[in-house]
Amino acid sequence: MKTASPVPTGDGRTLRVFIWSEYMDPDIVKAFEGQTGARVILDTFESNEAMLAKLQGGGATYDLVVPSSYVVQTMVRAGLLQPLDRARLPNLKNVAPEFLNPPYDPGNRYSVPYQYAATGLAYNKSRYTPQRGWAEIFGPEDRRSFVLLDDPREVIGAALKYLGHSANTADVAQLRAARDLLRRTVAKKGFQGFDGGPGTRNKLLARQIDLGQIYVGDLLIATEENPQVQVVLPREGTTISMDTLVVLKRSPNPALAHRFINTLLDDEVGARLSNYTYYATPNAAARPLLDDFLKAVPALNPPADWLKNGKLNFIDELPDRRAQRLYDRIWTELKSR
Amino acid sequence: MTRTHPLLAAWAWLVYAFLYLPILVLIVFSFNESRFGAEWTGFTTKWYGVLLDRADVRAALGHTLQVALLSTLVSTVLGTLTGLGLWRYTSRARAALSTLLVLPIVIPDVVMGVMLLMFYAAVRAGLERAGWTFDNGFWTVLLAHVTFQISYVALTVRSRLSGYGPELEEAARDLGASAWQSFWRVVLPLAWPGVLAGALLAFTLSLDDFVVTYFTSGSGFQTLPVLIYTNVKRGVTPDINALSTLLILVTVVAVLVANALLRPRRKG
Repeated sequence: MKTASPVPTGDGRTLRVFIWSEYMDPDIVKAFEGQTGARVILDTFESNEAMLAKLQGGGATYDLVVPSSYVVQTMVRAGLLQPLDRARLPNLKNVAPEFLNPPYDPGNRYSVPYQYAATGLAYNKSRYTPQRGWAEIFGPEDRRSFVLLDDPREVIGAALKYLGHSANTADVAQLRAARDLLRRTVAKKGFQGFDGGPGTRNKLLARQIDLGQIYVGDLLIATEENPQVQVVLPREGTTISMDTLVVLKRSPNPALAHRFINTLLDDEVGARLSNYTYYATPNAAARPLLDDFLKAVPALNPPADWLKNGKLNFIDELPDRRAQRLYDRIWTELKSR
Repeated sequence: MTRTHPLLAAWAWLVYAFLYLPILVLIVFSFNESRFGAEWTGFTTKWYGVLLDRADVRAALGHTLQVALLSTLVSTVLGTLTGLGLWRYTSRARAALSTLLVLPIVIPDVVMGVMLLMFYAAVRAGLERAGWTFDNGFWTVLLAHVTFQISYVALTVRSRLSGYGPELEEAARDLGASAWQSFWRVVLPLAWPGVLAGALLAFTLSLDDFVVTYFTSGSGFQTLPVLIYTNVKRGVTPDINALSTLLILVTVVAVLVANALLRPRRKG
């Protein structure tokens, strides 16, 4: 039988999800399978770039994908996504208003916020407690040992926040100032290199460093086992990375995908999700249901007005190629020093 | 016998320590009570239990072994024949074929993975126009593994035979052996250690491969290396250490078995 449409038709019973590791409570999946009789397949990726490469190459059939916010625009432009059907997502009302209509996807046409983390400063209480936010790292003193995240947008973004600028700026003078600041910073004796979340966490647990730039969720997961490691949001403001739920244009089972998204937006499910991942929930209705441990961490939920007054910036896609080249050049220089 | 200079011996030990200490640390930490690898908080075997409870790990293990065993079988047969052909025939085509065989070895994995991904996408688009659909999965991964394994097998078989000339086969024919008999009783026994070594190499390559497998597998078909690699994003959990320990064990056993098989049998 010939089909004119290039979109494969699904059986309505299998949901294929492409997601980060340890980012979905297996109990939620089991409950959804019980309710719907569907089978859920969870495949994992380790970077937005690898995920994009695989999808753009047409390598696999998925219904639902969990990209970071700054990749959503790229995916829309590449024609990978289908617009969401709002009528099928009544639980969208649970999402906090500050996370709706975001700059990376005006009107939430293609994406729904899933989980997020602000970028904070982590420390080991038994060694040192930071007082002044980013100034502890970028200030003139060179007394503390520290690591920075191995991510260009986070590192340049932090320097920009310390200087009082937006983490998404394309202003050449502001970027030049950030570059000079970062040059001085990585020349400090206290600078212990770039690292990812788990590496920074382990160095803090082992008391090898005083401070580390880290995604709040990546540190919190260790705080319960060892209360000595803590994380704060720098008072100068910081960046926020939001992961989102999107439905692929080639999704064989878009109805099931919408149903799963709506389930994830439920208040109880949303709370269970954050209790599992230690990442923050954009689901306002879920917040009262969070574990007491998470509720007690101020760094998990930044003050609501921080987004409005520009202290907190989503990491957005850069406005043009020239800005992209500037960021690339700063990063290459820092890494090859 | 010449005696090894003590400095040289010390150097050798240092090199061994450099190679094996990380593996030892990994094995030790798979028995660590703590969820985070930084501190030793007590001995436990619970992570092995956690590991066995994970359905995704069991499925990935099954996929890995299926692909590794079948792709090794196919590539060993095809690679051996290719290696024999390269040894036996001299022509201009041989030089071209040799170059072609080295390509999959020198091409970076990422390029190979993306190349195959695009190839499969093109094939799929063509098939869909004809009304057929298929998903990347077992067969696409198997084919991808075979493509890089053949080169390794062919090259080990050819280098094993490089010391012998084609006269051996001619001599067998002169003594009355049929082409079939000379292949089975003269050429293949000579090539056999090369065939085994190539097969073992192919097997471990398939077992270890991440990049090519990541790009050529479809949804719902992950192998162990893909599972492990994509799991380290938020930090290696101790059950992954346990899994790696088990994988090392399997590899060591495979190498020991191969060594025993390859040991030259001395007569008299």
